[in-house]
Amino acid sequence: MEKMMSKLSENILDKFSMDFLRNQVLKNAYGNDDTVIAALDPRILIAWYLFFGVVPWFVNDLSFLLASFALVMVTTLLARVAGLVLFLFALGVFSQTGYLFLATLLFGGDASAVAPLLVLTLKVATISLASVTVFSGLDPDRLSNGLMWYGCPERLSFSISYAYRMLPMLMEEFQNVLLSYRLRGSAPDHDTFAGKVRYLIYQVKIIMESFYPLMLNTAKRSRTTVEALELRGYRYGATDKAVRKIKLSTMKVTCDDLLFLAVSALWMSLAVLGSTLI
Amino acid sequence: MNAVEIDSLTYTYPGAAQPTLKGVSLHIEQGDFLAVVGNNGCGKSTLCKALNGLIPHFISGTFDGKVRVGGLDTLESDVGTLARKVGYVYQDFENQIVRPTVLDDASYACLNYACPDYKQRGRDALRQCGLEGREEEYIWQLSGGQTHLLALAGAVSLCPDILILDEPIAQLDPMHADRIYEVLRDLNERYGKTIIVIEHHTEYIADYCRHVLLMKDGRAEWILPTGEALQRVDELEACNIFPPQVTQAAYRLRQRGTLPESACLPTTVEEGERAFASLSYKAVAPVEKCRQEEESAVSFQDVSLSYRTVKGEPRIVFDGLELDIKKGERVALIGSNGAGKSTLMKMMVGLLKARKGTVSLFGDPIGEKKAEELSRQISLVYQNPEEMFIKDSIRGDIAYAMQVRGVPDWQERTDRLLERFRLTELRDRDGRLMSGGQMRRASLAIGVALEPGILLLDEPTANLDIATRREIMQVLEDMKDMIQTAVIATHDMQLVCQWAQRIIVLSGGTVVADGSRDEIFAREDLAELVGIRPPEIFTMARRLDPQALCYTVDEFMDRFQEA
Repeated sequence: MEKMMSKLSENILDKFSMDFLRNQVLKNAYGNDDTVIAALDPRILIAWYLFFGVVPWFVNDLSFLLASFALVMVTTLLARVAGLVLFLFALGVFSQTGYLFLATLLFGGDASAVAPLLVLTLKVATISLASVTVFSGLDPDRLSNGLMWYGCPERLSFSISYAYRMLPMLMEEFQNVLLSYRLRGSAPDHDTFAGKVRYLIYQVKIIMESFYPLMLNTAKRSRTTVEALELRGYRYGATDKAVRKIKLSTMKVTCDDLLFLAVSALWMSLAVLGSTLI
Repeated sequence: MNAVEIDSLTYTYPGAAQPTLKGVSLHIEQGDFLAVVGNNGCGKSTLCKALNGLIPHFISGTFDGKVRVGGLDTLESDVGTLARKVGYVYQDFENQIVRPTVLDDASYACLNYACPDYKQRGRDALRQCGLEGREEEYIWQLSGGQTHLLALAGAVSLCPDILILDEPIAQLDPMHADRIYEVLRDLNERYGKTIIVIEHHTEYIADYCRHVLLMKDGRAEWILPTGEALQRVDELEACNIFPPQVTQAAYRLRQRGTLPESACLPTTVEEGERAFASLSYKAVAPVEKCRQEEESAVSFQDVSLSYRTVKGEPRIVFDGLELDIKKGERVALIGSNGAGKSTLMKMMVGLLKARKGTVSLFGDPIGEKKAEELSRQISLVYQNPEEMFIKDSIRGDIAYAMQVRGVPDWQERTDRLLERFRLTELRDRDGRLMSGGQMRRASLAIGVALEPGILLLDEPTANLDIATRREIMQVLEDMKDMIQTAVIATHDMQLVCQWAQRIIVLSGGTVVADGSRDEIFAREDLAELVGIRPPEIFTMARRLDPQALCYTVDEFMDRFQEA
C-alpha cells in the first residue's frame, strides 16, 4: 500500500512538470484544429457562447439547465479539450459548489438540499464548459479574428495570438532556470512529514526566485522582437482598414455553422417544450 | 547601379560618448554578395541597421551623413517603405518569428502592408527559401536551420532587393549551414537579390561571397573582391578574423619559403590543390593508444526515452541505447541538430528519467536519486549561459551551489575560481550584461564550482566569434587538470579535433560511430549520414594524399614538406 502511495505521488509530481504544462498549453491551443468545433466559424461560435454563457444565469428551470449542460458537454467532447483544462474545470466546479453539497450531507442535510445546489452547480458547469468549448476548441488566431469582427481592438487579438506564440518559449526558459536551481541548490530532506512541508516551502521559494532571471532573460529577447515587429509592419497593419478587411474576409459562414446553430436551437426548444408539458 | 550608397555616415547611439560609425563612405553594387567582417563592436550590426532605417527612425541618436538604399534616402523614407527594399534577418532569429504557423509567419509582413495576395507571396517566399511543403506546420516543429530559413522567408516575402543577414550560421550544424548558403546563393543568382552577410566563418566567405568589407573601429577599411581580401592575412588577423585554414597554411608556407613570395594564396580546397601540388606527405608513426582506465564513469544500459508531442504518438528519442564512458576520458558527442545530444546529457544529470533501462554513474544506478544529490558527481553547463545566471552577480552565481551546501571555505574557493577564469574584475556584474566570451567563462566557472567528477558541456563554442572561440578552447585546455571526465556536445569540429580523445556520433538516437578522431574522420560514409564535416585543413590534406590525417594547421605544416 505504502509503495503504491509513493508511486502515485511520484507520478503526480512527474506529471505536473513544466514540460507537461507546456505540452498541455500547446495541445489546448493547437492540438485540436481538426475537430468539428474548430472548423466552425468563430463569429457563430462566439454568438452561440453568448447564449450559453449568459442565459443559464437567469433560468431556474431544471430541465432547461440539464439540457444545456448535456449540450455543452457534447460540444466539449467534440472539441477534444486537453486533460489539464478539464481537470481545472472539475476542480473549479467542485470548489464553487460541490463541497457545499458534501458538507450538507455530512452534517445531516437530506435530499431536499440537493435540488437547489444542483441548480447552482449546473449553472456554473454549463457556463464553464461553454467557455472551455469556445476558448480552447478554437485556435487562438480564429478566435481573435472572430473577436475582431465584433469590434475588439486589433491590439487584443494580436496579444492573444502572440501570447500563445510566446508561452511555450517562456515556459521552456522558465523550466531551464528552475533546473539551474534544482541542479545547484540543495533541497531539504523530505522523508519525514516536517521534511515534506519544508520541501514544499523550498520549492515554492525557488519558483518565486526563478521569476527574476526569467524576466531579465525575456527582456533581453524581446529587444529583437520589438524591432522585428516594426520591420514587419505591425504598426501599419494595426491601423490600416484594408488589413482589417483582408483578415476578416478569411471567415465564412457555411452550412455546417447553420446546422450547428439549428441543432442547438432544436435541442433547447425541445427541452423547453418538455418542461412545459411536464 | 548601386544598391547602397553611404556618404560620410557618422552615428552615435543615444547616451554613448563615442560615435559607433565614424565617417563611413561606401558603395555596394546591385546584385553583389558581400561579407562584412570585423572585430566585435566595430559597428557591423550598426551599419546594417542604418541600411533598413531602424537607425535613425526607431533607434534615435546622432545621425550625420547620407544613406541611400535602392535610390531612397533613408532619412526621408519611413521604416515601412524601407522594409520593402531591405530585408533583415537577426542573429537571434527565433525572436523575430511572431506567428504560430509557417505560412502565417512567412506572409505576416505582406498582410500588414495590405497586399491582397499575401498568402501567395508567403508561399512564393517559402518556395524560394526551400521550405515548400511545410506551410501548415507549427513553428516549434521546425529545426534550428528551418527556423532560420523561415525568418529569411519572412524577409523575402516583401520582395526586397537587398537582404541582410546577421551571422546566419552561428548556431547551425554544417549541413544546415550549407543549406542556408545554398539558398542565399540561389536568391542572389536566380532572383538577383543583393545579399549582405555579417560573417566570421571565412571558409563560407571564400566559397560564396563575391566581395568582403572590412570594418575597423567604426570605419570601413576597404571593400575588395573575396580572393584579394583573404590574401591580407596580417590585416585580417589583427582584427581577429582568421582566414580559411588553407590560406593560413599557405601563408605560413610562404613565410617559411616553401612557396614563392609572389605566389597568390589559395582560399578554397580546390585552389589549395594546385598551390600545394609540389608538397608531399611525410607519414608519422601512429600515436600509441594511451592506456584506458577500465572504471566506468557513466553507463547506459538498454535505455529508452520518449517525449510527449502535441499531437499523436510520443516521439521516441532513444530505444535500447547502450553506451559506456570511462573515467578520465574526454568525449565529444556529435551529430546533427536533434540527434539527441542534449537529451543524453539531461539523462546523465538526472533531469530526464529513462522510460526503460538504467543509467549509472560510477557504477551506481541513478534511478531513484534526485538531481540535487547527483550534482556533486556530475555537472552540466547549458548551451545558453543566461539560463545559468540565477543570482544578480557573477560572484553570487559561482558561490551559490557551494554556499547552500555549506562547503567549508566557500568564499576562498569562489575567489580562486573568479581568479582562475579571469572574472575577478567582473564579479559584481549581472551575468546577462557581459560579452559572449565572458558569459561562457562564467558559466564554466559555475559548472566546476562543486568539483564534479564529470563535466558535461552543451555547445560551449556556439554563437561565439572565432577569437572568443579560441579563448574558450584555451580555457577548456587549462581545465584539463580540474576535471577528470568531460563530455562535450558540439558541432564545432575544430574543437572536437583539438580536444577530444574519443568521439561518439549520434544519429536518430543511436550511436552510429564511436572511436578516435582518426577512426571517425577517415570514414566518408559518416559525413554523408550525419552531416559532420572535418576541419577544412583535414580535407585539404586528404586531397593531397589520401593517407594523410592532419587536424590543425600546425600538423599540416609538420607533415607536408617539399618533395
